[in-house]
Amino acid sequence: MVAIYNPEIACSLLNAVETQSLSKIYPNRLKAVDEISIKIENGEIFGFLGPNGAGKSTTIMILTTLLKPTSGKAFVAGFDVVTQAKNVRHNIGYVQQDSTVDEYLTGRENLELQAKLNHIPKDIMEKRIGDILGIVELADRQDEPAVTYSGGMRKRLDIAGGLLHRPKVLFLDEPTLGLDIQTRYKIWDYIKKIHDEFGMSIFLTTHYMEEADKLCDNISIIDHGRIKVTGSPKNLKSSLGNEVVLFEIDSEIKLDKLVFEIRKILTVKEISTDGLAVTVFTTSGDQLIPQIFQHASNLGVKIETISLTKPTLDDVFLSYTGRELREDNGKYDRKKERERIRKIRA
Amino acid sequence: MMLSDTYTIFWREMKRYRKSRSGVLIRLIQPAIWIIVIGNTFASTKPLIQSVGFSGSYIEFMAPGVIMLTAIFTSIFGGVNTLWDRRYGFMNKALTSPISRSSIALGKMLAISLISAMQSSLILGIALALGVSITNLLMVIPIMLIVIAFSLGFSGISVVVAATSKSQETFWGVINFLGMPLFMLSPALFPLELLPNWLAFVAKLNPVTYSVLLIREMMSGKIQAFSVALDIAVICGFVVVMVALASYVFTREVNKPF
Repeated sequence: MVAIYNPEIACSLLNAVETQSLSKIYPNRLKAVDEISIKIENGEIFGFLGPNGAGKSTTIMILTTLLKPTSGKAFVAGFDVVTQAKNVRHNIGYVQQDSTVDEYLTGRENLELQAKLNHIPKDIMEKRIGDILGIVELADRQDEPAVTYSGGMRKRLDIAGGLLHRPKVLFLDEPTLGLDIQTRYKIWDYIKKIHDEFGMSIFLTTHYMEEADKLCDNISIIDHGRIKVTGSPKNLKSSLGNEVVLFEIDSEIKLDKLVFEIRKILTVKEISTDGLAVTVFTTSGDQLIPQIFQHASNLGVKIETISLTKPTLDDVFLSYTGRELREDNGKYDRKKERERIRKIRA
Repeated sequence: MMLSDTYTIFWREMKRYRKSRSGVLIRLIQPAIWIIVIGNTFASTKPLIQSVGFSGSYIEFMAPGVIMLTAIFTSIFGGVNTLWDRRYGFMNKALTSPISRSSIALGKMLAISLISAMQSSLILGIALALGVSITNLLMVIPIMLIVIAFSLGFSGISVVVAATSKSQETFWGVINFLGMPLFMLSPALFPLELLPNWLAFVAKLNPVTYSVLLIREMMSGKIQAFSVALDIAVICGFVVVMVALASYVFTREVNKPF
């Protein structure tokens, strides 16, 4: 037998998720996903970040075999999402954004249903369900109808359901959206715990930067259907400079002149203004502060406050996606509307 | 696999039904009113009914019709939870799991037809309590089998409409447009023999007609082998066509964005 080496298939097996120029154009000609190429290694937690309507949900629907791409290829757990959809479905868990628990069923019955949908053999089903209920700390409420559960408990039940069949790739679509801060921290703990325990790859969409920062090995920022940047949270933050200097001045008159002068300093990576407040990303904050004072006093500008901080993923996100509000711009309305409809479906 | 997948969906639908029982009794009120009010309103048509060879009272004549009324509406409304499932994500959960698309449609249809048969059996009970006679009580079993088969076909209509509708409004609009005429265009309330020719012709194209006739024959005990065979053949044909159509349309529609 002659083994034919196919580099495309060979590399897709190494990765939990791989897309090649993946695009989706909706019948209304909206290009929701535009030539996306990503690689997620086995065992990696990957964050997919983007503003509302950026194309996150469409991508996740293609990867979970719910939508067919218009062009390009996507492999999940080594299988093509179009031609080997059934194999893909065997290997993925999908926790949707909105809770999908059957309210009339008890917590345990919900998981039984999930187990049956995923062909978990009867003899190991009970044990699996018991184990997972322990992990998400729902064992004591398992025989109550899910209608009595709080939002956080439902989310935990959803996550438990996505894990039951030990998928190779777990898709988590906005896992902490709409949850209070205590619950959000708890969910992050569960995600870390299950990742440590089962070692599967996790594809996570979110627009909470803190969430991506805490959980993800790598992230991609997507906007208008295109990948803007990919990298580890740490590298992305340091690409903006290691430090941020924030200061406020007393009058607008010489603001532009001052910004012009500061921009010329070598250690400055990026500078932006908001009213009288100025944000400067830099590689060396302690050297920059005296220089700012120097320029300010040369121009006769008084600095009211000044502080030195570390850049956050928020800064990274904003620098790639811009600051404008999506809802306020008519151009994005159609996109936003479609996104809303898709979310309702999801 | 296909069978156990179908059973999984059936199991889930029945569990949901058992836990949301409050509607069961409410849904019995309307057919009960039909039997009591319409059954007595037209009591004086007895001579007309008997002129075409039916020996009982009007209530006895129309009771099979009301059993079918219950079956029609329970099964044709039953698919509406397909829309809820798509809205609340259960559908996506099922679609991203390894079970086949047609077993989702089939599991739903089987559950609907069983629920429909349970509702209809309660109506049969009410009819018997109101003095409708049945020649042989054992006939209840084949009657229920007919209701199950018929409802399976009708739930197919419901699943097709639900899969193609994008909203509740569309679903209810189409279903109400279909349900009543299908009931009226049958010998449920009045014998075919006394209808104008064109109406009788249209009624003969309606699968409801054959189910009503079959149940009526079984209740009155006047069974003719030929007509029974014809009725069963028509119902079976209808069921096969609807099951195939429903799983085809469902599989096609769920692959589109909702």
